[in-house]
Amino acid sequence: MSFGFPWGLLALGALAPLVAAYFLRRKQKPVVVSALFLWRTPRHRAEAGPRLERFTREASLLLEALAVVAAALFLADVRLGEEARTRHVVLVVDGGLSMSARGADGRPVLEKVRAEAARRVEEEKATSVTVLASGTVPRVLAGPEAEPSRALAALESFRALGADHDVAPTLLWAQELAGPGRRVHFLTDAPPTEGVAVPAAVRWTALGAPRDNVALVSAWRGDEGSTATVTLRVARFGTGPEETEVRAVARPGPGAKEGTERRERVRLPEEGAATLRFTFENAGDVEVSLPPDALPEDGEARLPPAPERRVRVALAEGLDAPARSALERFLAVSPGVEQGPGEGALVVGPRGSDARLTVGVGGAVRTFVGPFFAEKGHPLLDDVQLGGVRWAAGAEPPPGRPLMTAGTVVLLSEAEGQVHLNVDLSRSNVQRTPAWPVLLGNLLREVRRSQEGFPRRQLSLGEALAVVTRPGARYALEGPEGTRPLFGAGALSLPPPAVPGRYSLERDGEPVDAVEVLPLDARESDLRGRGEGDRPAQAQGDDEAGGAAPGRARWPLLVLLAALMADFHITRRTEVK
Amino acid sequence: MSTALDFDEAEVARLAPGLALALPRTPQRGRVGEVRAASAGSSLELHDFRAYQPGDDLRQMDWNAVARTGELILRVRQDEVSPRLEVLLDGSRSMALSPRKAGCARELALLATEVGAHQGLSPTLLVGGARPERVQGQVCRSALRSATFDAKDALHAALGRLPPLRPCGLRVVVSDFLFEAPLPALVSRLAQGAAVLFLVQVLDAEDLEPTGGEGARLVDAESGAALEELLTEEVLAAYARRFAEHQKALGAAAARARAVHLVAPAPQALRTLVAGALRPLFLPAGVA
Repeated sequence: MSFGFPWGLLALGALAPLVAAYFLRRKQKPVVVSALFLWRTPRHRAEAGPRLERFTREASLLLEALAVVAAALFLADVRLGEEARTRHVVLVVDGGLSMSARGADGRPVLEKVRAEAARRVEEEKATSVTVLASGTVPRVLAGPEAEPSRALAALESFRALGADHDVAPTLLWAQELAGPGRRVHFLTDAPPTEGVAVPAAVRWTALGAPRDNVALVSAWRGDEGSTATVTLRVARFGTGPEETEVRAVARPGPGAKEGTERRERVRLPEEGAATLRFTFENAGDVEVSLPPDALPEDGEARLPPAPERRVRVALAEGLDAPARSALERFLAVSPGVEQGPGEGALVVGPRGSDARLTVGVGGAVRTFVGPFFAEKGHPLLDDVQLGGVRWAAGAEPPPGRPLMTAGTVVLLSEAEGQVHLNVDLSRSNVQRTPAWPVLLGNLLREVRRSQEGFPRRQLSLGEALAVVTRPGARYALEGPEGTRPLFGAGALSLPPPAVPGRYSLERDGEPVDAVEVLPLDARESDLRGRGEGDRPAQAQGDDEAGGAAPGRARWPLLVLLAALMADFHITRRTEVK
Repeated sequence: MSTALDFDEAEVARLAPGLALALPRTPQRGRVGEVRAASAGSSLELHDFRAYQPGDDLRQMDWNAVARTGELILRVRQDEVSPRLEVLLDGSRSMALSPRKAGCARELALLATEVGAHQGLSPTLLVGGARPERVQGQVCRSALRSATFDAKDALHAALGRLPPLRPCGLRVVVSDFLFEAPLPALVSRLAQGAAVLFLVQVLDAEDLEPTGGEGARLVDAESGAALEELLTEEVLAAYARRFAEHQKALGAAAARARAVHLVAPAPQALRTLVAGALRPLFLPAGVA
């Protein structure tokens, strides 16, 4: 015996009050009276139907208890014998972008997968189906253990637009959901390659076909002032056309009355990519497209404006003249920088102040020409070359974690968001070397990265989504698959988005920033290795032929009806007597 | 329904000699005796005159009247009879609601027959149990001793099983009269053929004032029908109200049939009853 809906057994709880009422009434002592008619309230209507006496009769109690049990069994969808066997089928569908590729007949692989999934469900006579989509983050499309029709409907509305990924975690998860000894059906577009560990219970079915493809493998847009620069890389996979036409349409931006369309033919190397660059003035969104081919999705990209974030820098009082002069020289030529105090400004101050960047020395000053020891992996020191630098630093170390030292002297340190430069610029030449603008440029980049929103405006499939939030506000990420809340404050790294499209960051319901996830993934665009094949499960499953009959069993209803009628008959007969 | 026998025959024997039944003052029926009968007879007291019919005793011809009227006029004289006594004891189960109620009913029935026998009446006892019984004379005592209150129906239904009631001078019906029946018709039927009818209603303490305070499954003594009730003050008050209405209806039916309705609370001693509630039936021997 098994139950399709075990919660229905809660109806058995009705037995407790029924039996309690029976015993409570039964406990009352019998008192013989001479004239019962003097106790009974006269009733002018004809008396019929159940009466209090019914509870004093065991037969009536048993029949009513039987009725309750029958109702509970019906609600719990009881199944006996052959009907008790439930058939749970777990389907895993490859969520990679290549599943959207068209075959030679123009039919997408995903459509073949849907047909195959329906066939499997019918073959297995499944009573419940779980559908998973593989991806960088596996997800459940239907179930666990959904009705077959619902599961297939969920698969019908599924679009495979994910990045290249390892399917092993999804298959292992599916195996756990299926249970020991049960098979998992994996539907993809390529046979397993050598070295891929396929769980023994997985039946791997490939429904793809090798195709040539031309794809965008990267797209980048940078805005500087009113000029937008779009850089594209176009790759050819296979023996496709050696030349293709790239079309870029710039929608009119602020101040522009009409958009701009550019077409450029590009020659594609056999194994490699061609790079193109377009420049637009006052452009809004730029839409890039390639001629339709086996996988049209990877030949289209929408690039929204991506202006560099502006940073405000304020020089505090107390800076000595050489430091102020060196800083002003850098800020004057640095793009996207505004000078002057204001909200969120990067404050540069003398040593000992609470500015974000302090410049100055303490103690006896010594001059170093090397060797300098720097923490290479720290973003502040990216590309900072100290060759030929003469660095005059004070003996007193600045507070915080040392990032760069010379001998026993700390030259650069970081503490709780503050950066301390232990340098006497009147006796150093660091401000006249390339290390100075690179170091300050890295600092400005970190400041930009710590601003609220998305540090990057375009992402490719499979890239983690970085976002910065402020404390004390409620954030949500709105994307093609809906809105989800974001928890935590500061720099967050979210899992790669499952599908391409525009993702918007909302603070307390108001949009703050947006990022475009482009459907670009070179490995998914390479369709040469796709093909057909069916690799049976290595382990013998417990799956058996035959399945459960759909719908609830009707016999509990018949028992319920019979019990109620018998009870009515008994109580009615008592009344007549 | 079996109950312990609570039947004080000795007390009956002590009381009977000093009592006499309240006999009717109207002509009666019965054996030849000291009391005038309703029927014509040969006593010296003139009852009526009527025309002569063939077969009449010529000795009773009133020749003076014949001379005056020229018609054959016959003197009709009243018989002297000893009036018959019928005691009808209800044998339904409710009469044995308690041993005392059953005992009281037996005692009253026996006292009536004993006192009647002392008065020279010929007592007849009818017991309306499951097996109806009709006895006369000395066997009444033993019949009462062995009588069982086992009828599953009420008195009015038991009358159908009993031998027909005969014309008599005095009829005493001992019952609790606690049943649903058309009381006027029942009392009228009981009064039929009797010069005087006494309805002696024996009631138990629980009939008069039932105890309450808890839930109970009330079971009818005769039919076995059950009713679950919480014996609250309201329920008891409703019972008392319906009981009073029933008693009132019984009294009204008795009055309409010229019968005497007497209530004998079973908890009271027989002597107390005789001296009190049943005084209209059992008179002191000197008064009768």
